[in-house]
Amino acid sequence: MTRTSSSSAARPVGWSVKLLGWVCVLFGLLLFLGGIWLITLGGSWYYGLAGLGLLVSGVLLNHGSMKALWLYLLVWSATLAWAWWESGSDWWAQVPRMLSPTVILVLMLACVPALARAERARG
Amino acid sequence: MFASLRLTGLPGAVLAALIGLAACPGLAQDTASVAAAAPASEVGTDWPYYGGDAEARRFSPLAQITPENVARLERAFVYHTGDLPPGDTAGNYAPETTPLKIGSSLVLCSAMNILISINAATGAENWRYDPEVPQAAIPYGATCRGVATYTAPDLAADAPCKRRVIGTTLDARLIAVDFATGRPCEGFGSGGQVDLWDGIGEKIPGFYALTAAPTVVRGIIVTGAQVKDGQAEDAPSGVVRGFDAVTGALVWAWDLAAPEEMRAGPPAGKTYTRGTPNMWTTATADEARGIVFLPLGNSAVDYYGSNRSQAENTYATSLVALNAVTGEELWHFQTVRHDLWDYDLGSQPTLLDFKGRPAVLLASKQGDLFILDRETGAPLTEVGEITDLPQGKIEPDFVADSQPVSLWATLRKPALTEKRMWGFTPIDQLYCRIRFRQAVYDGYLTPPSTRNYIQYPGYIGGSDWGSVAVDVARGLVIANYNDIPNLNRLVSRAEADAAGMRPPTAQAGDRGQPQVGAPYGARTNAGWRSGLTDLPCSQPPYGGITAIDLQTGEPIWDRPLGSARRGGPFGLPSMLPFEIGTPNNGGAVVTASGLIFIGAAADNLFRAIDIESGETLWTDALPAGGQANPISYEVDGRQYVLISAGGHHALETGVSDAIIAYRLPD
Repeated sequence: MTRTSSSSAARPVGWSVKLLGWVCVLFGLLLFLGGIWLITLGGSWYYGLAGLGLLVSGVLLNHGSMKALWLYLLVWSATLAWAWWESGSDWWAQVPRMLSPTVILVLMLACVPALARAERARG
Repeated sequence: MFASLRLTGLPGAVLAALIGLAACPGLAQDTASVAAAAPASEVGTDWPYYGGDAEARRFSPLAQITPENVARLERAFVYHTGDLPPGDTAGNYAPETTPLKIGSSLVLCSAMNILISINAATGAENWRYDPEVPQAAIPYGATCRGVATYTAPDLAADAPCKRRVIGTTLDARLIAVDFATGRPCEGFGSGGQVDLWDGIGEKIPGFYALTAAPTVVRGIIVTGAQVKDGQAEDAPSGVVRGFDAVTGALVWAWDLAAPEEMRAGPPAGKTYTRGTPNMWTTATADEARGIVFLPLGNSAVDYYGSNRSQAENTYATSLVALNAVTGEELWHFQTVRHDLWDYDLGSQPTLLDFKGRPAVLLASKQGDLFILDRETGAPLTEVGEITDLPQGKIEPDFVADSQPVSLWATLRKPALTEKRMWGFTPIDQLYCRIRFRQAVYDGYLTPPSTRNYIQYPGYIGGSDWGSVAVDVARGLVIANYNDIPNLNRLVSRAEADAAGMRPPTAQAGDRGQPQVGAPYGARTNAGWRSGLTDLPCSQPPYGGITAIDLQTGEPIWDRPLGSARRGGPFGLPSMLPFEIGTPNNGGAVVTASGLIFIGAAADNLFRAIDIESGETLWTDALPAGGQANPISYEVDGRQYVLISAGGHHALETGVSDAIIAYRLPD
């Protein structure tokens, strides 16, 4: 899924990376806005912060920047720490917390070769 | 009762989404008995009472099926009642049927109250009697939990209806038919029927319905009725009545608001007191002492109380002990003061001896288990008091500021917190966390509000009509329970009217819970499901089963009940075999060999569980939900276990007319 048939200066990464980038932007925005709402209601700060991280990761992905991965690794690690702190080894409770963030992590790792090519192309 | 509540579970192939204490210890007088105590029928080969034995312990002394051989259990027969919902009643079926087994026959009732006798070893039908209940009579659901039998001592051994089956109907009739032939008992009421609408008031189909097995004590049939929740303060009475089991004549009526005036029925031109707390579940009788124990529900309007009478406030959500012969009150024990949560007592009480006293064990929807002295109502287990409860803004003067709680045993879990909100992805979890923070919630017994407010536990319990099973020899109470909140909201009269919320009339059915007479209607989201995914907003488990030590009240084990196989987001089955713990309805039977048989869960599995460890040893996938109490019995030296797999509309567990019996292979 990370194979790109052509890479030009205008398209530093292929459509699959861009798709993931836009998915991250969309869900990041939803989490960020909803998270701000939750914070104003006195709730957890996790969603606003994680949403922001996901949003920025998505933007960086669209720019073909390897920083997307480093930032998202930070978001994922912080998510893991937070999820364990909130719910520990209750695996059903971990489903919403860890499942889809981990799927995103795997997809992002799959983007590494494309990102590396894009970084090389930019010199 | 509850509105709509389906099980749920983990998502399946959706990765693309990427995302008390008013005990009045009036002493139990010796019941100068008109009718002498009848010898009790033994549970074992037979299952002679709805609750197994007369004590309603749901315990079978049979031990042929054991933890060692239960894995070999196979179906002996599948009987189909033929009572399947026609047309538009499909969303209203929840048969919940538990047969009786006497001699070589099983007797049972179908969802629409057809009385049926089948061969207990083969499932071959002996007879059926259809009382022809109209569909319009279906209240919350088409349900018939069970029947009773009575043997008339003064009739000749070969007289018709010497032994009779007593059934109740959704259109509020009491029916007696001959045990052997199914023919109506001519001497009972009018042509074998008694019309229970008598004295209730205007006949509005579905408003007043009988869904529970009656109880026979000292030759008297004791029954209450289900009154549709939340319709109007001017609703049918919650009167509990006793009828002569031979003639069908009214022996006594217990109208909690006018016990003396109404004892022999209402005076001409009057009805029993309207809107009073009813008994929609099954009573338990102490035949020898002549006492009948009535688990009462709440007043007709559940979520607003300022208009309730003193009598309603005294008796609502109480266990009441009556002299079964005279209908006079002996004592009562209130489990919730000024109930605003629909915490009807739905479980049938269980009789046992406790600390050297004849006792009655009561399980409640709020999860508390109480053990009371059978003769005085005094608690034999510790009852505490929680104080400084939230008063809310709707009727702070009515809301009780303290409530009784059991310090001995409870099925209730700690209060909800934001982090126990759930979902499939962070996004729908976030949605539910926002909804949680927006809702009014001050913990257990948060009073109603015109904003969304959380009721936890929700109104299916804790313990509902499935009741608990008690193994006296092992000293264990087996209780399955729900662990799921409701998200409710009071709506103004104008909003209720605009939404078309109205009580039933003779011409048209009801919609919603208008609570006519109160300033507010009520909306309830039972099981609090997310508007985004249809998954519950709270995290699993949603139901469990536990074994509680009778001596200490402590759980020996406590585990989720029900797998995720039928649940998933957007209504998709996940196929996952993991034990997530689903909402459940229906109880257990315990056998002397140390097995618990239970359906109940929304995954449609029938389970055998090791009573010592809580481990599931055997399952069978039912054609629809096993929301019924299973039984065990013996024919020709072989032990059977049987469950009705009728499904339940609110748990969305399908519809079936199958009654399934199991035994070990030859």
